[in-house]
Amino acid sequence: MSLLHDLIFFENPTIWNDFGGTSGGLLGVVWQMAIWSIIVAILVTGWMIYNLIYFRRADGDPEHEDALKAGVFPHERGNAKIEIAWTIAPLILVSWLTLISLAPLDYLWDVDGQEEDITIEVTAGRFYWSFATPICNEEKSDKEEWCSTGIYQEPEGFDQCETSTARGCLEIPHGAVVHFRLNSVDVLHAFNFPELGIKQDVMPNLETLSWLDTGEYEAGQYSIWCAEYCGEEHSLMDADIFITETEIA
Amino acid sequence: MNNRSLKILSLGFLMSILLAISAFPTGDSYPTGITDDNLVKNGCTCHSTGPMDSNVIINLTNLPEIYNSSKVYTLTLKISGGPDALTDGNQGGFFIQTNYGTLESIDNNTWVPEGETHLTHNEEGNNYREWSFNWIAPESDSKIVEFTVYGNSVNGANGSIGDYWNKGEFSSAGVNAKIAEDHGELSMPKKMIYAFTVLVVTLGVVVIGNRMVVNEQSFEDIIKDCWKATYPWLTTTDHKYIGTLYICTGFGFFFVGGILGLLIRWQLFEPRIDGDFLTYEEYNSTFTMHGTTMIFMAAMPIIFGFANYLIPLQIGARDLAFPRLNALSYWLLPTGGFVVYMGYFTGGAGDVGWTGYTPYASGDFSTTPGTDFWVAGQIMLGASSTLTAINFLTTMLRMRAPGVTMMRMPLFAWSIFVTVFLLLLSIPVFTVALILLMADRTFGTLYFDVAAGGDPILWQHLFWYFGHPEVYIVILPAFGVLSEIISTFSRRPIFGYTSMVYAMATIGIISFVVYGHHMFTTGADPLFRFIVMLTTMLVAVPTGIKIFNWLATMTGGSIVLKTPMVFALGTVITFTIGGITGIICASIPVDVGIHDGYFVVAHFHYVLVGGTVFSFIAGVYYWYPKMVGKIMNEKLGLLHFALTFISFNVAFYPMHNVGLSGMPRRYATYDASLTELNQMITIGAFVFGFVQLIFVYNVLYSYKYGKEAGDNPWDGWSLEWATSSPPPHNSFTEIPTLKVAEEED
Repeated sequence: MSLLHDLIFFENPTIWNDFGGTSGGLLGVVWQMAIWSIIVAILVTGWMIYNLIYFRRADGDPEHEDALKAGVFPHERGNAKIEIAWTIAPLILVSWLTLISLAPLDYLWDVDGQEEDITIEVTAGRFYWSFATPICNEEKSDKEEWCSTGIYQEPEGFDQCETSTARGCLEIPHGAVVHFRLNSVDVLHAFNFPELGIKQDVMPNLETLSWLDTGEYEAGQYSIWCAEYCGEEHSLMDADIFITETEIA
Repeated sequence: MNNRSLKILSLGFLMSILLAISAFPTGDSYPTGITDDNLVKNGCTCHSTGPMDSNVIINLTNLPEIYNSSKVYTLTLKISGGPDALTDGNQGGFFIQTNYGTLESIDNNTWVPEGETHLTHNEEGNNYREWSFNWIAPESDSKIVEFTVYGNSVNGANGSIGDYWNKGEFSSAGVNAKIAEDHGELSMPKKMIYAFTVLVVTLGVVVIGNRMVVNEQSFEDIIKDCWKATYPWLTTTDHKYIGTLYICTGFGFFFVGGILGLLIRWQLFEPRIDGDFLTYEEYNSTFTMHGTTMIFMAAMPIIFGFANYLIPLQIGARDLAFPRLNALSYWLLPTGGFVVYMGYFTGGAGDVGWTGYTPYASGDFSTTPGTDFWVAGQIMLGASSTLTAINFLTTMLRMRAPGVTMMRMPLFAWSIFVTVFLLLLSIPVFTVALILLMADRTFGTLYFDVAAGGDPILWQHLFWYFGHPEVYIVILPAFGVLSEIISTFSRRPIFGYTSMVYAMATIGIISFVVYGHHMFTTGADPLFRFIVMLTTMLVAVPTGIKIFNWLATMTGGSIVLKTPMVFALGTVITFTIGGITGIICASIPVDVGIHDGYFVVAHFHYVLVGGTVFSFIAGVYYWYPKMVGKIMNEKLGLLHFALTFISFNVAFYPMHNVGLSGMPRRYATYDASLTELNQMITIGAFVFGFVQLIFVYNVLYSYKYGKEAGDNPWDGWSLEWATSSPPPHNSFTEIPTLKVAEEED
């Protein structure tokens, strides 16, 4: 039963999310994509079934009036009006889908327009994520609790609360705009929050940017995966990210 | 051209190649400074005063021979020998790196530099020759872990004179790795290759032995018979023979690539740890070879097999314009394919993905040795395709029979015409990119070297400039086949012939300006990404025209549901689904979420299998009577269709769901919550694989027992149906003239 449920419902909240409120609801890009996909699929299959019901003939039925003959180029058939109609209809549809993609695109790419609360330097390497963050968390001064995972490196200068580097885990406050400056030390990787619908390639020699408004999501534990093939342990290159309700220091 | 000038010409070629090689930028002259790994590894660039010194002895104690997963071990590194040290001064330094697990400092004497994985001494630490630190064993206990240590023994005097260093290597094996090694167990692909070899040799012995006993032939006679049967195939320049060879080779590689696909699916049956079925490295090779095989050695050869066989027949020519070139194009295919597969015998086939992204593919990163073979073989395949494209362009522009004007060519011929145009304009770019990659890998050039200031996404531009037209190269001929079959089995002319031609030409043109949609998540210029989103959306328009024209052809026709038609209609449905998901992927905000995930995998399998492969299977059912003279078995054909269509959707539809849940592609293991859907996919894939055996059986069965076809079993109109089945040696006894229906009336 749950398998059937999985097949019918695409259970990933952010896939249906509204890209920071720019494209929510039934008129948002994801819902529109889903709705028009279903309409087009039904149109094509429906028309085909209609054809098969009404125009199917047994083999050897009387020949059609303009039946084909070997070696003879057949009569040209067509109807300019209809053909223009189904050139323009898809054109309007894809123009609409492109149009509604613009607002969320503007939101996703608007890194500069968002005043950042925190900037985190992310370094990717085969096969780890490391995070340099300026956050000093007074409440969890015990460094073992700082990130709730076992993979933990002593942050350099942890006591001074200026910057700290952790590998494999990251904690960011809820309700903050977080900027990520992404760099790779070796090959291409991709910084991917599967649950939050964010993906940005990470490259050597070319800094890329990504950003996240943690206020859009619930506090909790999320994962970071590598989405760009990088070698043997590509599928194990993950990190945990904790969005916690804390004051920004 | 006489012999002498030929010699001079080839000498000239050789000289220019040598000159070109010597003109390549070489490895020592990094524009951004020296970033040589070895200097970092020495841990002491200030003391690099000469080669290693064997007097310096490096010891790593407390390292277990067999480690337990994730356990923390405290290791001690000790340097002895070398110069006598001042008691209160600097005494030494070290550098240690491991391929698995994590190194961790436990005191103030050592540290891990930011962004690095190795451990080294610090300011305090160089007053010692003994250091302790932690090593956290990897999660997997099937690894063989190697430690590389550089130790520097220092006399404490100012400067580096009198300081000596050495290198040490140590290893530790996981509990499971040790057992596997003790038994000398073979890896899965090796087992399969051995099993396959044993099978082939046994079959050979049985067949030859049987003939020796039953027919009382001598061994020499049997070999002579074999040679007599094989020789014409090896030396032929006839387009029908070469077409058949292409089709058989293509389906042969389709079988091999299919087995690789099933290996992928079995690996993903449940989340597996490294080496549970395939090691992660083997898995990476497997999906690389699956992709490369299916695109370059299965889909394209099948397409050009049909093109070879049918284009001369459809345009009323006796053969292609350059028959010998055609033979060369064909023979480059199995040769290139063999070279690509050589990797399996040299320690692992290429593992860079079929896209071969640099810098992973170009650098010294741990790609398998087979990657060099992967590059070399692909260059040959590229050459083969380029020659084929030239051959077909010339043939179709110059050798059409009377009456066959451009706008009276069958739609399959038109689709091939557009395809070879795309091929000629795109594949040389890929071939050149591969040559640059090969130069980087083997001659030490720096085209893709990021440390030397190379652009990290240069390869993606070069690859996708070819790669996107490539997907239209494999789908346009499928459109051609569908147009032919749907028109024939609706027993009436295609609706909107002219708009079909323009639609294909439009797709061909647009295909060169959409490639950036593979790079939505790179840091490429936003304007570039935005423009390719617009153009990608536009592809839906001509594609929609084609689908609607097919449906309009059926409306009001007299539809006969034979196997080719049933397959063609199934293709229309699966291809429509693939086309729709293509539009979904084209929207950048959505693509940012699903890029490089299983949704994309689902999309291109719906297009490539559900579009190209299905329509060419329909093509086999449709043209088999022309090629062999016998009709394929209807009942087996319909059974094949039903099982294929259902299992295809069971196998590939859930990939949409898996992808939207966030599973990235090329993952050798995955989140346990997706196990159920992945098991469904795997079961579907295995069923899909096995029902193709019905198809193979049908082809062989009908070859022997099929009904006689006659010249025109389906009542098609194009010129191939005007000649006999199979066509005579020179294709037409006399060059035909295409008549026109209007003039006939």
